[in-house]
Amino acid sequence: MATKKAASGSLKLSPVLDLTEASALHGTLMSMRGRNVTIDASEVERVGVQCVQVLIAGARAWQADKKSYVVDKSSDAFAKTMQLIGIDTDLLVAKEISK
Amino acid sequence: MKKKVLTVDDSRTIRNMLLVTLNNAGFETIQAEDGIEGLEILEGANPDVIVTDINMPRLDGFGFIEGVRRNEKYRAIPILVLTTESDAEKKNRARQAGATGWIVKPFDPVKLIDAIERVTA
Amino acid sequence: MDMNEIKEIFFQECEEQLAELESGLLKLNDGDRDPETVNAVFRAVHSIKGGAGAFGLEDLVAFAHVFETTLDCVRSNRLEPSQDVLKVMLKSADVLADLTNAARDGGFVDESRSRALVKELEALANGETPAPSVDAPKVVAKAPEPVQAAPPTDDSGFQPVPFSFDSFGDEEAEGEGEQVFDITFRPRRELFSKGNEAALLLRDLSRIGEMSINCDIDGLPALDAMDPEDSYFGWSISLKTKKAEEDVRSVFEFAEWDCELTVKAAEAAAPAADLPMVPVPFDLSALDEVSGPAASADVSAAQTESDASKMAAAAARVEKKETAAAAAAAAQTATTAAAAAGQTIRVDLDRVDRLINLVGELVINQAMLSQSVIENDNNGTSSINMGLEELQQLTREIQDSVMAIRAQPVKPVFQRMSRIVREVADMVGKSIRLVTEGENTEVDKTVIDKIAEPLTHMIRNAVDHGIETPEKREAAGKDPEGTIKLTAKHRSGRILIELVDDGAGINRERVKQKAIDNELIAPDANLSDEEIDNLIFAPGFSTADTISDISGRGVGMDVVKRSIQALGGRISISSRPGHGSTFTMSLPLTLAVLDGMVVTVAGQTLVVPLTAIVETLQPEATAIHSFGANQRLISIRDSFCPLVDVGRILNFRSVQANPVEGVALLVESEGGGQRALMVDAIQGQRQVVIKSLEANYTHVPGIAAATILGDGRVALILDVDAVVSASRGQSLKPEMSLAATG
Repeated sequence: MATKKAASGSLKLSPVLDLTEASALHGTLMSMRGRNVTIDASEVERVGVQCVQVLIAGARAWQADKKSYVVDKSSDAFAKTMQLIGIDTDLLVAKEISK
Repeated sequence: MKKKVLTVDDSRTIRNMLLVTLNNAGFETIQAEDGIEGLEILEGANPDVIVTDINMPRLDGFGFIEGVRRNEKYRAIPILVLTTESDAEKKNRARQAGATGWIVKPFDPVKLIDAIERVTA
Repeated sequence: MDMNEIKEIFFQECEEQLAELESGLLKLNDGDRDPETVNAVFRAVHSIKGGAGAFGLEDLVAFAHVFETTLDCVRSNRLEPSQDVLKVMLKSADVLADLTNAARDGGFVDESRSRALVKELEALANGETPAPSVDAPKVVAKAPEPVQAAPPTDDSGFQPVPFSFDSFGDEEAEGEGEQVFDITFRPRRELFSKGNEAALLLRDLSRIGEMSINCDIDGLPALDAMDPEDSYFGWSISLKTKKAEEDVRSVFEFAEWDCELTVKAAEAAAPAADLPMVPVPFDLSALDEVSGPAASADVSAAQTESDASKMAAAAARVEKKETAAAAAAAAQTATTAAAAAGQTIRVDLDRVDRLINLVGELVINQAMLSQSVIENDNNGTSSINMGLEELQQLTREIQDSVMAIRAQPVKPVFQRMSRIVREVADMVGKSIRLVTEGENTEVDKTVIDKIAEPLTHMIRNAVDHGIETPEKREAAGKDPEGTIKLTAKHRSGRILIELVDDGAGINRERVKQKAIDNELIAPDANLSDEEIDNLIFAPGFSTADTISDISGRGVGMDVVKRSIQALGGRISISSRPGHGSTFTMSLPLTLAVLDGMVVTVAGQTLVVPLTAIVETLQPEATAIHSFGANQRLISIRDSFCPLVDVGRILNFRSVQANPVEGVALLVESEGGGQRALMVDAIQGQRQVVIKSLEANYTHVPGIAAATILGDGRVALILDVDAVVSASRGQSLKPEMSLAATG
C-alpha cells in the first residue's frame, strides 16, 4: 500500500505495483494534490502498466497545478520497466513553477 | 526469491508431477485438490501464479478462476489453465472466466515453466 | 519422488477412478440422473486419460479418449444414458480397467473386445468421426508397456527435448536471416483483468530480438478523469530478430484476444528460403542463447536429488492440514463412515502394521503392569490404581484409533463383484442384476483383501448355478432377470455379509444323494433341511464331473468355507426351493484384537470370543439330562441345549467333567444353533491381542489363535464354531470321515 508522509509531501511506492495497487495509488495521489511531492520508487520490485499510467497522469496533474512532482529514488526494477515499455522518465516529472 | 505457485488439480498423479516439475525448477509449490480448497488456500498463501485444472469435483476450474478474479486482494494473480489440446471451447470458456493463459495436457515440463515465466515478473 | 513413484501413484489413482466410474455408471443404470453423477463419471475417465498421457500410455489414452467423448455427449445431454448405452459403458469401464492393468504389469487385453467397444462408443457419440488418435493404438499396441520399459516414457514426461521452448531448433534450420518487424500493440482493459501484463509481454518481446519501442500515451486522460484500471497506452515497436512472424506473434499467444495487435515484416530482408543450403558461419551468440537455458535445465535436473528434501518439506506443508484432518478422523472409531471425499494421506501399509503390532505389545504390557501392581499392591494405593485405569482406557482408545486406520469400506470388493456378475452372466446367457447394499461398511483391510476371493467364488456360483436361465425363470413365473443381492452390515462387533439370490434354491434331494454317494453321510441319515443345505460346505462334497449337474451350489464351497474360517469367520446357507438361497458370512472387524472371556479348562487357560457367548450359567444337577453313551443336554428355561465339554472335545481330558462343578457358556454359532460349552471356571473378561498360531506353529483344530495374557502366560483362543461342529459329530480332524452323523 502506498504511504505518504503528510509533512514532507513524499510518497513511498510499495514493492508490488500491480493492477490491484493502481486504484490505491490513484487515490493517494488525488489526496496529495496541491502540494509538492517527492516519490520514492527505491523499493519497487514490480511495476505494471496501470500504475505507470497513474504516475504519469499524476505528473501531468502536478504540472497543471504548477507544483513539483519528482521521482527522486528509483530501484533498478523500476527503471528497467520504464525503459522496457518506452517511458521516458521525464514523463514522471513536473517542475514547480513559483508565481 | 522463490516464486510461489499454487496448483489446483484433483488428480494425485498430476499434482505430484506438478510438484516435482515446479520444485525442480526452483519454485515453491502449494497444492489444492479442487476449486474450493484452492480458494481457501489462496488466502494467506498469496501465490505469484496459479496453475489449475478444469474438471474437478466441488468447484471446477471455471468457478475457481471466477472466484479468484472476484477476490479484491488476489484478482491480479496470473492463472494458467491445464487443458487438453483439442478443447478450444474449454480454452475459450476459461479465458472468459478470467484465465491468463493455458498449458496443454499432458504438460511438457519445459512448456509449463515457460508459461509460468511468461506470465510472472 | 521420482517418476516411477508418481507412476505408482497414478495406477493407485486409476483404481480409485475406475471404482468411481463403475459406481457412477451403476447409479446411472439405476435411473440416477444427477448431473454430478455424470460429471463424476466423466471426470474419472478424463483423469485416467490425463495421467496416462503424461506417461505415454498410448493405448490407455486412446481408449479413454473415445470413452470420454461419448461420456461428454451424455454430459451435454446429447445422448440419453439408456440401459443399452450403459451396457456399452459398463463394458467399456471393464476394458479401461484391463488396459490400466496391462499398462501397469502387462496383463492381458482382449484387443478385439476393445476395438469393438471403440466402434460402439463412437457410434453412440452420434456417429461422429473419432479423433485420429483412435486408430493409432492398434499399431502401438504391438509394443505393450512393460514396467521395465518405464525409463523412456518417464523421460518423455520429464525431460522432453531439451530445447523445445522457443522452437529455436526449427528456426536455426531455417537460416539466420534477421528481419525487422513493425509491431503495434494496444492492450484492452481485459488483458490486465485476466492477469496478463503488458509490461511482461514487452519484456518477452525484447528477449527475442533487438527492440526499439515507442509508447503512445496520448490517450491518457487527466488524473481525476481516469479509471486507474483501464488501459490507455499503446505501443509501436520495431523488432529486429531472427525469429519468424509466428514466433513473434506467439509472445502474445495468451493476450491476442484482449489487445489490438499488428505484426508486419518491415523489410523483406534476406528471406529464409534463399539461404537454406548455404552453410552459415557458426554463430556463437546464437549458441549462447541456446545453451543458456539448456544448461540451466540440466542443472535443475541434476538437482533433483537435493531438491527432494525441499520438496518433501513443501509436501509436508501442503499436507499439514490433511494430517490434522486424518488425526481427527482417526480419533473417532470408524464404523460405517459415509463415503464423503474427505482429505486423506497415503501411508505405507507396513507402517500401519508396525504401529498395530506395537500397540498390541503395548496392550499386553499394560495388562502385565496392571497385573503385577495388583499382585504387589496389598494396601491398595488408589492413586496408582486410578492411574492404571486411565492408562488402560488410553491404551484402549489408542488401539481403537489404530484399528480405525486400517478400516476400509467394502466398496471396492463389492464393485469388483458387479463386473464378475456381468461377465459370467454374459457368458452363460443369463440376465442378472446385482444389487449392493451397505458398501460403505468398514472392516479391516486384511479382511477385505481376503474376502474377495471366496466372495468371487460364491458370486460365480450364484450366477452359474443359482440363477436359472431366463426361459426357466419365465416358466416358473419369475422375472426373467435374476437378482443377486450383496449386503454388508455391522452386527455386534462383526461384519455380516449376505449374498442372496432369487434362483432355484438348493435341490436338497440331489445334494443329499450326492452326499450319500460320496459317503459323506450314512444312507439312512436323518437330516434337517438346514443340515442338508450345509452339506455343500463339506470337504469332498463336490467333484468336477458334477459341477453343472447340481442346480444348487456346491462347487468348491468347502474351500470357501475354509477361507472364511481362516479369517475367524463363519458361513452358513439357508435356502428356499424355488425362491433362492442366502449365504451369510460373519467376519471379525479386525484380525488383531478380540474381546474374550478367559476361562479355565482342565488346568489350561483358554479365551472364548465374547461375540460368540450368549450367556453364562451355573448348571444345576436337575437341569442336566444324559442320553446315549455320552450325550448330555442342559435345559435352559423351556428348551434343551446340547452340553459340550470343551476339555473333552479338545482332548484335554479323557473323561467328561461333572457339569455341576463347572460353568456353562451358552454360545451361538453361525447356522449351527446354540450349544452350552462346559468349562471349569471363568477367570474374567478382557481384550486380547490375537497372535496367529498358524504363522508360528500350525493350525490346531478347535483353536483359532493364541494370545499372551497380562501375567505373561500364553492362552489359546477357542474356535467356537469348530467346537460346535465337532460336538455335532463332525470331527475336529479334517482328515477323518464325515460319515458319522451323531
